[in-house]
Amino acid sequence: MSQGLENLKHIVVLMMENRSFDHMLGGLKKKYPKINGLDGNESNPDIHGNAVKVSPNAAYRGQLSHDPDHHFPGVDLQIFGGAAPSPRRVPNMQGFVKSYATQGTGDRGSHAIMAYFPPERIPALTTLATEYAVFNGWFSSIPGPTICNRAFAHYGTSFGNVDMNLFLFPASGKAKIPSIYERMKNEGHTAKLYYYDKPSSTMEIVNLVRDESFFATYDQFAADCKSGNLPEYSFVEPNYSDHPGAGGGQLLATDQHPDHHVLAGDRFIATTYNHIRRNPDLWKSTALLIVYDEHGGLYDHVEPPACTPDGFVASSAATGIPGLDFKFDRLGIRVPAVLVSPYIAKGTVVPGTEDPAKQRIFEHASIPATVTKKFLVNGDTGTPREQSAETFLDLLGDTMRPDKDCVLFNL
Amino acid sequence: MALEDAPKVDILPFDEEEAYDHDRPISSLIRTQLLHLHTMENLVLPLEQRTDININDLHTERLASEYIHKVTDLLHRHGRTSRQKAAAGAKSKPKKKLVKKALKKPAKKAATKAPGKPKPVAKKRASRR
Repeated sequence: MSQGLENLKHIVVLMMENRSFDHMLGGLKKKYPKINGLDGNESNPDIHGNAVKVSPNAAYRGQLSHDPDHHFPGVDLQIFGGAAPSPRRVPNMQGFVKSYATQGTGDRGSHAIMAYFPPERIPALTTLATEYAVFNGWFSSIPGPTICNRAFAHYGTSFGNVDMNLFLFPASGKAKIPSIYERMKNEGHTAKLYYYDKPSSTMEIVNLVRDESFFATYDQFAADCKSGNLPEYSFVEPNYSDHPGAGGGQLLATDQHPDHHVLAGDRFIATTYNHIRRNPDLWKSTALLIVYDEHGGLYDHVEPPACTPDGFVASSAATGIPGLDFKFDRLGIRVPAVLVSPYIAKGTVVPGTEDPAKQRIFEHASIPATVTKKFLVNGDTGTPREQSAETFLDLLGDTMRPDKDCVLFNL
Repeated sequence: MALEDAPKVDILPFDEEEAYDHDRPISSLIRTQLLHLHTMENLVLPLEQRTDININDLHTERLASEYIHKVTDLLHRHGRTSRQKAAAGAKSKPKKKLVKKALKKPAKKAATKAPGKPKPVAKKRASRR
């Protein structure tokens, strides 16, 4: 066991909303060739068949006022370019512009789906990605929307759902799989879901409402970081809406969901990092994972790989695609994921599908799988998907980087 | 102080006033959140605690967040009360069982038998959509 892993007492996961890897981090490839981002020549056909190239002109706000489709049929079109369901079809990532054009964006408006951020325009995320570890192969768990993907982070499965159904009760004949918070508590460990505030709340309140001890707000997260009372496992949720603050003022959405301001989210990432970074004891004993729930309909060039089925099947009525029963045997589209710890070597790039010999494929079931591996004795409670998921704490090495080598954000 | 040694990185400023728009139409994510909280209201909360708000009238982020705030508060309060009731039930139920058993069975046997596990409080479950 490495020194970093031995010293690790806390895992913190910050899950943002609806941005693809290439959209946020693709621009890093130019300076860091190991990062599997964009060359600049990647393209998609528009509705007339003309190639639309990726372009470094993503806007913080106002460019994606039509929320790009990220429901199952839309993502199927994005991945397979419109090919009808068949065992022989292969992903080509050629349907993003076509998909966006169906949403009333107009011909030119649909090209916005190919836009990406130059790294200097989102400094918190791109700094952490290059200062610590970035995953070339972290995929959303399902080619579908938010709720079913977030479920994989909490339960290691979506219980057969590929949509926005939040009532995660198991299909008949399947045993209920406890959330990672319940599993931690059952073995005498501590775990908490920190949502931003009550007007923003959390989707998971629906499933975990019976146990108050699992919930706290972001103010409490900040206080717990300062006082050194952070639980062993923390899941942090951003603010999902613009709304008035409790004591007056205006609170901006920080989730980066289109069309919320991307820099508000970038600042939230920096703030969360600083809360941990400023407490020396916490800093040396914590791993922070920053990850996005799904791609939000935005372009990514990497084909999602096949994966271990999780034992559920979504019927064609559920997928919304005639003739396509989904066996949870393929991952969703790639998302940004960054792991932070002073025990991670600067500039670590975890290889993905671009390097078949060394590839490591992660998805949101990797979160409960990692927490289980670190803290729990009973590791066999998850679905086959969770049990076969890659875990990420081996990225922590033996050497703790000195303070002069670990950034702090000016906020 | 060691933190002073850390290299400082600037984040980018932006016009927060211009960025803020609580009248923005809600996304499908927030719409879903409203639907689920509304369902929870009806499934979990007693009639007199429900908000009586028609979620179909909530079209902006501000209106949605006001509703989400109210129901989150109510659900937390309900969760606390349920837990307290469950805890109270766990203390009192075994006594009741003992009394019942004592009435049915010979005194000696009832007195030596360990109290049974308290019956769990009935939980309302949401059906799958």
